[in-house]
Amino acid sequence: MSGRRIMAAEDVRRAVTRISHEIVEKHGGTDGLALVGIQRRGVPLAKRLADAIAEHDGVMLPVGALDITFYRDDLSLVAQQPIVKGTDIGFDLNGYTVVLVDDVLYTGRTIRAAMDALMDFGRPKAIRLAVMVDRGHRELPIRADHVGKNVPTSREEVVHVLVEEVDGEDGVEIARLPDGRLTGGAES
Amino acid sequence: MSAAVKYNGTLRGWAVDPAAGREGAAEAVVADGVLTALTWLSGSDAEGLSPDGVLILPGLMDIHAHFREPGNEDAETVATGLAAAAHGGFTTVALMPNTTPAIDEPSVVARIRAAAAASGSPVRTLIHGAVTVGRRGETLAALGELADAGVTGFSDDGSPVKSASIMRNALMYAGSLGLPIIDHPEDHTLTEGAEASEGYVATVLGLKGWPIAAEVGSVARSIALLTDVVRDVPGARLHLTHVSTAAALDQVLLARAAGLPVTCDVTPHHLGFTDEWIAGARRFAWDASGDPWADGALVAGPYDTSLRVNPPLRSPEDALACWAALADGTATAIATDHAPHTEVDKHVEFGWAINGISGIETALSLVLAGVAAGQLPLATAVAALTTGPASVLGERSPIAPGLRVGEPADLVVVDAGASWTVTAAALRSKGKNSPLLGRAVPGVVRLTLANGRVAYQA
Amino acid sequence: MTPGADRPDGVLPAPAAVPSPAPWAHRHLLDVDTLTRSEIELVMKTTDEMRDILTRPIPKVPALRGMAVTILFYEASTRTRVSFEVAAKNLSADVVNITASASSVSKGESLVDTIRTIEALGADMIVMRHSVSGAPYLAAEVFGGSILNGGDGWHAHPSQALLDLFTMRSRLPGGSLEGRKVVILGDVLHSRVARSNLWTLTAMGADVWICGPSTLLRGYEAWAAHGAAGRRFTLTSDVSAALKDADVLMALRIQKERMASGLLPSLREYAARYGLTQERLRAASPDVVVMHPGPMNEGVEIAADVAVDPRSVITDQVTNGVAVRMALLYLLAGTHHGKVGA
Repeated sequence: MSGRRIMAAEDVRRAVTRISHEIVEKHGGTDGLALVGIQRRGVPLAKRLADAIAEHDGVMLPVGALDITFYRDDLSLVAQQPIVKGTDIGFDLNGYTVVLVDDVLYTGRTIRAAMDALMDFGRPKAIRLAVMVDRGHRELPIRADHVGKNVPTSREEVVHVLVEEVDGEDGVEIARLPDGRLTGGAES
Repeated sequence: MSAAVKYNGTLRGWAVDPAAGREGAAEAVVADGVLTALTWLSGSDAEGLSPDGVLILPGLMDIHAHFREPGNEDAETVATGLAAAAHGGFTTVALMPNTTPAIDEPSVVARIRAAAAASGSPVRTLIHGAVTVGRRGETLAALGELADAGVTGFSDDGSPVKSASIMRNALMYAGSLGLPIIDHPEDHTLTEGAEASEGYVATVLGLKGWPIAAEVGSVARSIALLTDVVRDVPGARLHLTHVSTAAALDQVLLARAAGLPVTCDVTPHHLGFTDEWIAGARRFAWDASGDPWADGALVAGPYDTSLRVNPPLRSPEDALACWAALADGTATAIATDHAPHTEVDKHVEFGWAINGISGIETALSLVLAGVAAGQLPLATAVAALTTGPASVLGERSPIAPGLRVGEPADLVVVDAGASWTVTAAALRSKGKNSPLLGRAVPGVVRLTLANGRVAYQA
Repeated sequence: MTPGADRPDGVLPAPAAVPSPAPWAHRHLLDVDTLTRSEIELVMKTTDEMRDILTRPIPKVPALRGMAVTILFYEASTRTRVSFEVAAKNLSADVVNITASASSVSKGESLVDTIRTIEALGADMIVMRHSVSGAPYLAAEVFGGSILNGGDGWHAHPSQALLDLFTMRSRLPGGSLEGRKVVILGDVLHSRVARSNLWTLTAMGADVWICGPSTLLRGYEAWAAHGAAGRRFTLTSDVSAALKDADVLMALRIQKERMASGLLPSLREYAARYGLTQERLRAASPDVVVMHPGPMNEGVEIAADVAVDPRSVITDQVTNGVAVRMALLYLLAGTHHGKVGA
């Protein structure tokens, strides 16, 4: 990918550390706090946030993985059914403040789907949102509580968050789509 | 409709005349409908003329066709059937009696004759009468009166005479009239609800099996009855129509070797297609391997009802046995069993679709495809479509097919080197129930002359 | 380098490090003979996810919201019809049920006209059961959406074969059918379950044995001679040989009509010679998995104590049936460009 690098590996790591502190600070501690990553790259990011919190607060928070495929509002628009990657929420989230973790916040539709999915597992006390990159262009009234980096983009651009667990390295790149192709407004 | 015009013209091509036992490059001159000259060409005169190009053949004869009139004119009329026959190169067609009412008395014969005359077609219409009243297998039809009315044979076709006793009497009575019993060999106790030839394809597709024994057993019974009858009635004759299995052909071979007056025909569809077409294969019988699921031959959707036919399409081995039977003389004729049907009867579930293939217009093409693939010498194939069927009818045949100078031209000009695509629009028959729809086949009929008159001209 | 972290998920290819199954490419599911091993794996994986959903407090997801599913059954069946209905509703589809009767003689509305009418009423998918083999192919020829074959004549029952496979995998150590001896016992002649299982089980490498009285094996000799697309299976009327060391035993329903048509002397004789009893079960592997597609004739093809034996997975088959049907509806929906969901 011939993208322009806007965050280096070190920037990503620093952002994770900062957000981990913000999450605990905003919640006023770690009691009743849980993290749920959105498949795919939100899952390793959630795991890293939990590790960072364990390091500075000495508490390992429950971490879950959420696949939002069945909740997408554009299923009838895609040419082939997305392959489901799996949901794994191994704790009862009733009463928890759940921090949803994702890599990029764009139109907001993924988060809308994630909130619907989460609700089917129980009734969290509150849902918060942490993302590595907020690239704007929201189509729904959704705002992130914790952001690694705000990146102004155009719709002709695409943002790639790379995580070592999936991509072999950390970083964020921005690239221009081929002429005439817009990033799908249906997804964030 | 006015009568067709008499032809005038000179035709050049590869002539095949089974009556004269001769084939070769030739030039035929037709003047005022009469074949006035047939010159066999050689050397530079014959240049460009070959068995792969334009053929000049005697007009074809079909001894087994269904034109649905009276009773089911939605599917075909005598007029549309005759137009289809001419388009297929046929100049003489014998119609089966399973109309409504059945052809079991002279008035129905007269009605069909009138319809044929009104059509203006020069194609000759022959009529087979029913063996039993209403083809119900109970009492003999008015065989003598039907014979007097000029029928060419007796058959209950798809409802073959169940009772051996009645069949025996029919063979005797018809024999004394000098007419053959045309037997559709099928033991109905074995084929109730049957959908496809019992075996590999039927089993995989979950179709009720149609046992080969249903045909073989019936053939054996008819031959046994004939053996019994000929002692008393030397004129008794049995013709087995659309024999489709190697085992049944073996029975015919033995009976003929024993000198019994038995003949049989095979159909173009049993020569060209196999049951794997029902699974979605679309290769001719001589190219079939036997396992379309393993060799990637399934190119079309399964359960195409145009392939539902009685007797059912068989295995490649049986199809090849039909070709072999023509080659060794076990089978005397190719008969189309042209069976046009409406969409209402065919565009339904496979198991509920009516049996039959609209085949009179594609018969010559299928046979030529087989000839091109080396299944049969051209002259033998032409004989099976001309002199062969005429010999089954014997004295009742209105014509001795051949290219005879001084007689009205009765011939077909077909370009074996050209191909045509079978489409609903291309078929003159009302029955569009052809498995070949959308496919290109060799052999384009350019001209059909019946009794000197133009029956079809491209 | 990485092919894109930005979504839409699944629209962009997944990274090479994680092998993903082949995407689903069939608009209709009419038979299982055309399914590749990889496609069967995709169904199994998707079924896993659906099983997870079934264990949630609210076993329902909005994946097929706005999708109209018509369940068109020309043959009486409670279990399969309800299973499809539950599956469709769990995916939030709008479900219409039509129980039709049809026969070749009572010339009612033709199948073709019925399908066109259902399409005009807005159906995106039709789950269809019919007593004539191949009928769903005719429906697929005229329908603009997706046809899911819920059983046609003696021919195919794709969802049953896939739920059977899923059930076997969940019970067999290692979750693999490779080399496992699977016996299908009974009236295979009239069985679409047997036919469909033959395709899927051989595709997954199982050692399939077909066993029954010779009158109910008719035609299978010819099939066995070719194998299922060349994949061999064994045919026998010897029940002892079939059951010996079997890993899976699947008994098929025997219908009373078989006596009337002269295929069997009596139910009593069938039960004595081919019924699945505890005694016969001893010849099989100690951990044998006992299956039956239902509805059962207890005391005929399967003894009552075998049906409730701990090794019997007959009720699992029912639960898995819902999950498999959810997976199939979900996968087929993706090939149908219907209405916009939300």
